[in-house]
Amino acid sequence: MIGKSRLASGIALLALLTACSGGVDAPALQLQVIDAAREAISARTAPKPERPPLTRAVLDTLEGAFLEVTREREDLSAFLYVSGQTRDAAPGAITIWRTETNETLALRGGVLIATRALGGDLLSTELRLAPGGLGPASGARVLHVRNADNRQAVLPLACEVSDLGSETIEIIGARHATRHLRETCEGAGGTVVNDYWVDAGQGLIWQSRQWAGPHIGYLRLRQITN
Amino acid sequence: MHPRVFLQIRKQSVRFGALRAGLAGAILGGGLLVGAGLAQTGGETAPAVPVEPTLTPLPPPSLNFYGNAGLMDMPSAEMLPDGQFSTGIAYFGGQTRYNLTFQAVPWMSATFRYNAIQDWNLGGFSTYYDRSFDVRFRLFRERRYFPEVTLGLQDFVGTGVYAGEYIVATKTFATPGWGARAGQGGTLKLTGGLGWGRLGSHGGSGGGGDRPSFNPGDTGGEVSYDQWFRGPFAPFAGIEWRPNDRLGLKLEYSSDDYVTETQITSVFEKRSPFNFGVEYQASERTRIGAYYMYGSELGVNLQVQLNPKQPPTLMRVPAPAPVAKRPSRSANPEAWSTAWTQGRSAPLQLRDVLDPILRADGLVLESLTVGADAAELRFRNLQYMSYANAVGRAARAMARAMPASVETFRLVPLSGGMALSATTIRRSDLEALEFDGDATDALLAVTAFSDAPPQAAAAVPAGDLYPNFSWALTPYFSPSYFDPDRPFRIDVGAALRGTWQPAPGWTISGNIRQRIAGNVKDGRESNSVLPHVRTDQVEYAQYDTTLNNLFVAKQWRPGRDLYARATAGYLETMYGGLSGELLWKPVSSPLALGVEANYVKKRDFDQLFGFQDYDVFTGHATAYYEFGGGFLGQLAVGRYLAGDVGATISLDRFFENGWSVGAFATKTDVSSEDFGEGSFDKGIRFRIPVGWFLGKPSRQAFGTTIRPIQRDGGQMVHVPGRLYGQVREAHRNALTDQWARVWE
Repeated sequence: MIGKSRLASGIALLALLTACSGGVDAPALQLQVIDAAREAISARTAPKPERPPLTRAVLDTLEGAFLEVTREREDLSAFLYVSGQTRDAAPGAITIWRTETNETLALRGGVLIATRALGGDLLSTELRLAPGGLGPASGARVLHVRNADNRQAVLPLACEVSDLGSETIEIIGARHATRHLRETCEGAGGTVVNDYWVDAGQGLIWQSRQWAGPHIGYLRLRQITN
Repeated sequence: MHPRVFLQIRKQSVRFGALRAGLAGAILGGGLLVGAGLAQTGGETAPAVPVEPTLTPLPPPSLNFYGNAGLMDMPSAEMLPDGQFSTGIAYFGGQTRYNLTFQAVPWMSATFRYNAIQDWNLGGFSTYYDRSFDVRFRLFRERRYFPEVTLGLQDFVGTGVYAGEYIVATKTFATPGWGARAGQGGTLKLTGGLGWGRLGSHGGSGGGGDRPSFNPGDTGGEVSYDQWFRGPFAPFAGIEWRPNDRLGLKLEYSSDDYVTETQITSVFEKRSPFNFGVEYQASERTRIGAYYMYGSELGVNLQVQLNPKQPPTLMRVPAPAPVAKRPSRSANPEAWSTAWTQGRSAPLQLRDVLDPILRADGLVLESLTVGADAAELRFRNLQYMSYANAVGRAARAMARAMPASVETFRLVPLSGGMALSATTIRRSDLEALEFDGDATDALLAVTAFSDAPPQAAAAVPAGDLYPNFSWALTPYFSPSYFDPDRPFRIDVGAALRGTWQPAPGWTISGNIRQRIAGNVKDGRESNSVLPHVRTDQVEYAQYDTTLNNLFVAKQWRPGRDLYARATAGYLETMYGGLSGELLWKPVSSPLALGVEANYVKKRDFDQLFGFQDYDVFTGHATAYYEFGGGFLGQLAVGRYLAGDVGATISLDRFFENGWSVGAFATKTDVSSEDFGEGSFDKGIRFRIPVGWFLGKPSRQAFGTTIRPIQRDGGQMVHVPGRLYGQVREAHRNALTDQWARVWE
């Protein structure tokens, strides 16, 4: 009898270590926690991927546009491809850029209007674009941010755009003649400074540094291929 | 256009996107969250940055030894941030207090405490364990020239070892900082108050009325309003200075003379009314303090504060595919043709396109009804705590899969085969508003919520969903609280659960447990004079291999706004039998009414298939009301397991992310003497979603109910799958409260 119950306990102990499930339903709570812990450990112990230095020659082999985005606070970068382009009733073409791990940024006329899957995302933005629909214009800017409490926080800002003159910038071996616009926004108890390097001739913003709300902070964006 | 051609084009465009992503991965790799950090070389960034707007809350007040905002033994008038959940352990002079405080609303908090006093040596206890409740109400908010004023009732129910009442005022002043970050100063808080009871025992004077003295042998449980603000009262005061956001210095003059502890018995020696402390914020949620108490004792206080609104990890849901826009009607009239409705197989094909799109987003198609201009999707939500999120994903999936002529989407989430609600969204609104400046509110304004109609005869059911079997093998933990010999006991083991759904609405489910280790079996035997309907837990804990439950359940919709359930089998560890429930809950109504009737028999202690010689009809009529702000009140009237008749009242607060915290109390026709310690049944309960910790979408949650003492009066049977919890989450209030998730 005792031997039997020992055996059962042993089997149960083994079950704890190999918790598992099957079927259509979502995995059990304990499994979700165990999986998350496992992922966190492997993410910490995984070696950093070695990446060859990016050169213009490598980039020239790519087809289509890529955007390099850096989260300043975490110093994390990724390369995003275009996963959608659209227009709606408001001015400005909308481009949705996506990472390999399914995070997206939406830009309207080169100005960040929404993020997804970054955590504390920018849900939507009320803004005015410069005539021609490229780059920001002075005026009211309202950010709708997904707050930590699962609600939407609204941050109203008053923005002023100033032209800092023409600048030639270099992005991985490619030089672009741009105008540097600086947008200074006050409101919601703070100040936000966004910078844009606009190429009106090509109709795109090669490089920018934009604030994506209080949870994400500043993002640096560079279009590395066109 | 023929449906097959149309669908092929859609599939192709999806594949093209994947191809592009693969190319990027091959050469560039990484994501914004897991990608390796790359230093960016080109492009100068802005110079010295001004302060960004922030949504991070201010640091909360520090806690006293009773777990309330305050100094050491004395309270302050401060309230914790709304929703704050704080816990901690305070110790000095042989006295340990475990505190749990919940700031239920901005102006009211409640505390539950478990304490142990060593060297008590009174009434047969060498160490005295007790439980107590406090409540605090803010009377006035702090203003420029006026302090915050709070009224508190400490240990206001029960035997009342810590019973005391107070009115306290606290004023905050800005001071120069010390070691603070640039731009940040220090804070000085001055507190003064008047205390009664325990808090009026040192330097007390005057006072009206007699105050009964503390009697540790009392059964307790009664609200002791007859002693509030009676007897002598005494002043107390304190100062807290926080020179920076980590350090705090405290000084107080205590009006608590510890009469019982130091004069009647000798728990410790009191030499001075002054207490001193230093505290350090060790992490965002943890504060530790060291103290010199009453001129003779060293004390420590560990304070942990968390807020359901501030998760440790922000929720990240993988980004959805953008809403697929239809070609314009004028440019491509062919795409808008409704000729596809002529094909008999069109609904089947559409279902087969839609199902994998839904599955990729954690949703399961149950049925699809398509017409030329409208479609209804019935689906199961496996992944999202928030139904608004699930509905948003379902709408996007429909926009990808449906022919252009389908303009109206009706989205019906199901739970156990039962349709919960219908959210109706127009496809052109989805297309027009996805990147609108105020997309969340704009979509809400054009969305309709209603009761789900009966499923149409033309509905195409899921191809291979039923019969549906799922199983899980997981660890389990089964705690038992507040045994005077050992306040916390736990059993751990493995649980094997299997669920078989032969057809929509039917569930056959079982759960077997194998204990590996535990000490619940060493607990106290019941001394109850009532039928032992709940107090035989120690007898039940003697067995290692048990059948936790095994039942068959059927859920259905008997009519408009009505939900029904019938369950039979081994319902829970202690009872088996029959259970039926009927719930009335209109989608947009804050009120719901339900009736439940059960006939149950007490199961054998070994929790296999046998029953004991005790059976009972038990059941309740329940009114549920959502007061707004996440508050849900319930009043249940009926017959309980011991055959007693009475009512249960409860109040729970639900947070948008799935957290809930609540309290309940039951009074039945069982007398206080027959009930035993505690006089009547009461407790607190909470539920913490896994997603709150993990930052990933999940419908799972941890939860528990804590009673100060488990007795036999006012006990209900635990029936799996009660209706209200399933239904509320997908109704209008919950959907609109969480609507910010709809576009995620």
